[in-house]
Amino acid sequence: MKVMLGNIIAIYRKELQNYFVSPVAYAIAGFFWLIAGVFFTAILLGQEGVIRQAALMDIQVQQTGVVMPPVDVPYQFLQFFLGFMGQLSLYILPILSMGLYAEERKSRTLELLATSPITNWAVAVGKLLGVLTFFATMMLPILACELIALSAANPPMPLSVPLLGHLGLLLLAASVLSLGMFISSLTDSTILAAIITFVVVVFLSVIDLLASGVGGPVWQVLGSLSLLKPYANLVRGVVDTSNLVLFASYIILGVFLTAQSIETLRFQRS
Amino acid sequence: MKQLKNFWKSGGFWIGPFLIVMGLSAAFVSGSWLPVPAALAIAGIVILGLWLLFQGRLVLSFLGKRSTQAGTNAVAATLSVLVILGLMNFLANRYLVRVDLTENQLFSLAPQTQQLVSNLEQPVKVSIFDRVPNPSDQLLLQNYQRSGGSKFSYEYVDPQLQPAIAQEYGVTRFGEVHLKSNERQQFLGNVDPQSRLTEVKLTNGIAQLISDEKTKVYFLQGHGERSLKPADGGIYQAVKSLENRNFIIEPLNLAEQQDVPADAGVVVIAGPKRALFEGESKALRQYLQLGGSVLVMVDPSTDPKLNTLLQDWGVTLDNRLVIDASGQGQLVGLGPAEPLITNYGNHPITKDFSGGYSFYRGARSIQTNEVPGIEETPLLITNERSWAESNPKNQPLKFNAETDGQGPLMLGVALSRKIAQDGVPAAQPSPAATDKPKAEASPSPTPTASPATEASPSPTPTESPATEASPSPTPTALPAIEASPTPTVSPASPTPTPTPTPTPAAGKPAQTNTEARMVVFGNSEFATDGVFEQQLNGDVFLNSISWLSKQDAQTLSIRPKETTNRRIAMTAEQASLLDWLSRRILPAVGLLSAGALWWSRR
Repeated sequence: MKVMLGNIIAIYRKELQNYFVSPVAYAIAGFFWLIAGVFFTAILLGQEGVIRQAALMDIQVQQTGVVMPPVDVPYQFLQFFLGFMGQLSLYILPILSMGLYAEERKSRTLELLATSPITNWAVAVGKLLGVLTFFATMMLPILACELIALSAANPPMPLSVPLLGHLGLLLLAASVLSLGMFISSLTDSTILAAIITFVVVVFLSVIDLLASGVGGPVWQVLGSLSLLKPYANLVRGVVDTSNLVLFASYIILGVFLTAQSIETLRFQRS
Repeated sequence: MKQLKNFWKSGGFWIGPFLIVMGLSAAFVSGSWLPVPAALAIAGIVILGLWLLFQGRLVLSFLGKRSTQAGTNAVAATLSVLVILGLMNFLANRYLVRVDLTENQLFSLAPQTQQLVSNLEQPVKVSIFDRVPNPSDQLLLQNYQRSGGSKFSYEYVDPQLQPAIAQEYGVTRFGEVHLKSNERQQFLGNVDPQSRLTEVKLTNGIAQLISDEKTKVYFLQGHGERSLKPADGGIYQAVKSLENRNFIIEPLNLAEQQDVPADAGVVVIAGPKRALFEGESKALRQYLQLGGSVLVMVDPSTDPKLNTLLQDWGVTLDNRLVIDASGQGQLVGLGPAEPLITNYGNHPITKDFSGGYSFYRGARSIQTNEVPGIEETPLLITNERSWAESNPKNQPLKFNAETDGQGPLMLGVALSRKIAQDGVPAAQPSPAATDKPKAEASPSPTPTASPATEASPSPTPTESPATEASPSPTPTALPAIEASPTPTVSPASPTPTPTPTPTPAAGKPAQTNTEARMVVFGNSEFATDGVFEQQLNGDVFLNSISWLSKQDAQTLSIRPKETTNRRIAMTAEQASLLDWLSRRILPAVGLLSAGALWWSRR
């Protein structure tokens, strides 16, 4: 057990080191921050942003005396911004996961990994943790911006809902990365891995819309595979055990399938 | 074969996903699956499948015997993992635990709702006649479904695509919500961007739908009141809406029968044009003294001779026309003589109205003076820049401090008066008023009242039938259901105690009957056809009737879920810091370090 954990940590460290010396990783982070930042300011401070809309409404209330329902601006902001971050992650995550195994295949190091004494799933878990940590690190500066905004909330806002929303984002990311890792293990082309992952993820995120459009029991089951719906639920501030189980299933499935695909590779080459 | 290989190699398989995406987007845009989107998607899947097969064949050709075995093992393992995960998700969906971390439990149902919905005996179905389901409404309905299980269901019906269903429910416009349980159906209200489905509305609607109590509402006739049938200036829509809410509507002609029927839940006087006879107004007064409920709607420049009745309650009808000069109404196309009300009193009738509009064409204001024992709450209050015009013919309209009354004015008031257990008003407003009916209105009320009072001391917990008994002054009114236990009680008061006690239903109406209620509006136009369904007008009328019918005791008091009113109060420095940090500094850091690393690696 201890050995296993040590192995996972070794792989994890190696992966992380790769990211922090790779110009591509920084470029990805830079673009991610740019897009997230533009939307962050637009949603919070822009013309149509939540602060301005609320102020406009307050002025209207003062002028006409019409009583309006209460508005929770920070909560609204979180809904919009985390909703957008979920969408953005769908584009970014396949790029992060694309190289996980495809690079190894390309540089002919996959055989080493496949035949090493470390079990396949330990490798997969280590790699997944590494890429997830990188994604979380990318999120940290944005989280700091959000905290500055939320600290200006009046009256102060309890942090349970924002925390839950970000946990949701992390779970969403882990699920997508896990699936992406499996797809990356199937091919030696990173671009192909990214595109297929993207297609699969987009399909999984719109499947509930499709399902509710078509109806019927089969589609209902398919609809429950949706990734964005449970995410939206968590962002809203509601923890549903079925949502957590769904995310966990995606993560486990991704790791398992990756291990399987490397396993078959070992026999193919022998 | 070679050509096919080249085709795949040169990226031909990309047509597959491409076609699938095309098909999916076509399905989204057109909203239907047939025939083009499905064809596109299927073609894409076939191409992708062919490619996979082809790849598989390449892979297979490499496989030796051992690897094939390993492959089967892998497939078996994968399948079992899939099954296990599927089962886990199925179970998690079946037995889910939900924790609502929002401050005000925005996404949870109140305990009353959960109890009501989980104990449904008959299936209840909510039908919403709209084209596009609203996500927040759907969330609410899903919550109901979760606690109601198979007994609760909901559906969205597009009235244009399924006109048959829409016709069955009598749908006339988008956004109507109807409830149905077995054969009973009930109109709940409309949903639109301004007013979404609320738990308060839905739960009370369901409670009403499955309850067996039906209240009778009598509409006074014979003095030019607004017609109950479809007619010019009639209140047919209002009557229909009441019927949809489980009320029984009947006309009442007090010239034909001397007294208000004992089973009357509410008596409505809707815009009389001619005066009531003395006897009629006396009958109403007596009805009120026994714990009745009356809705009075009187337009200006009519005198229904209701003054003696209203004065008991401290209400005076001002004959001047209410003018609204604030210009608020002009924004929505209303004239100065159509006061727009946005200010509502704090009362069960108007508690949900904050911020909503209702309007009253040609209204008179109401004045009240305090009468001991009567609780009064203003319902409709005009704005500051309105006045009561004494001479509306004198154009242009101008406020004249000598003859006109300065606003804000009251257009509607709700009053209630506690009635003592024996059926006599707890506080008698004026001795003259109460003496008169006693002397004139035949001996019937007094004798029946007295056995009732005799009966009351013996069965202490069941004083209810006693008060129930009192409204049946004449034997002719006996067919009323509530009145029936009385004859058994009154003649032999000590013996029949067992008979009234086992009737469980007796407790409830008795309790509600200990209060007389009245709502007075200085306008009846607002409830007429065409205007009734606009803005909150209909709700003002319907809520008044349900308050008067004393259903509020049975409606569940569910606090509406409200978000905390919260703002982000950011200083200019904070805002510009965030702007710089998020849009400029962070991306620059990322991109510059990428460039630097790339440069150093070269």
